[in-house]
Amino acid sequence: MAAMREHTGGCLCGAIRFRARGEPTKTNICYCTQCRRQTGSPMASFVTFAVTGFELLSGSALSYRASDFATRQFCGRCGSALFWRRDGSEELDIFLGSLDRPEEMPMPQKQIWTRHRIAWVPAQPEIPPFKEGS
Amino acid sequence: MTANEQHTGGCLCGAIRYRVAGPPLRVGLCHCGQCRRQTGSALPSFVTWSRKALEITKGQPAGFRVSDVATRQFCRDCGSPLFWRADKGEDITVLLGGLDDAEAMPKPSYELWTERRMHWVPEFPGIKSYRQEPGRG
Repeated sequence: MAAMREHTGGCLCGAIRFRARGEPTKTNICYCTQCRRQTGSPMASFVTFAVTGFELLSGSALSYRASDFATRQFCGRCGSALFWRRDGSEELDIFLGSLDRPEEMPMPQKQIWTRHRIAWVPAQPEIPPFKEGS
Repeated sequence: MTANEQHTGGCLCGAIRYRVAGPPLRVGLCHCGQCRRQTGSALPSFVTWSRKALEITKGQPAGFRVSDVATRQFCRDCGSPLFWRADKGEDITVLLGGLDDAEAMPKPSYELWTERRMHWVPEFPGIKSYRQEPGRG
């Protein structure tokens, strides 16, 4: 059996570092307006890992709740977006850009909240779209 | 577009609000590793105005310097990245996603650091493309 792969990541300033073991259980693109604000970008992307395979190596992320069912975490020193976690979930969504080697992640499996996609962002029809969350 | 054109924006939690006057000078994309880390996004996008067009109407952003040419400003309460403020020059670069009318912003006219574009992020045909930055490739 092959050794389980490890993926490391962290924020821009390096205060927060983490490791996720194994492979992502899900990957997606999110166009919702909350993700748009938190990333400052027209398109957020996540890779999802089981919390059992996730380990914080250094630092402590700050939290903000924009909805009543999930917490968003970020670095208070540099503002980097790091994690989104649904209350009670056994999985953690990691903002793709926080990984050290995001190019090694598989391409997104679905696009959610496409009704908020900005018109000039290409539609990428090969990635299954959902008008809202799914 | 009118003489009174203005745009408003702010962070996710609303602690910081701003207003910019007049039409933007340009809209662009950046695929560099620093922008990707801070935003967590594979498609960081920016709207540039003259610095004197910007007024912070509520709150005070925190700043972080990752390079010796600019400060990245963000909300300390929710982390939202807001501005990329170069030490020199007359412009302010606003993160597109902070704008209340982000969907009304013009299509980007340029993209930087395409050599670092994520493999699945689509190309934007017809826009000025730099492998790194103007003057560097």
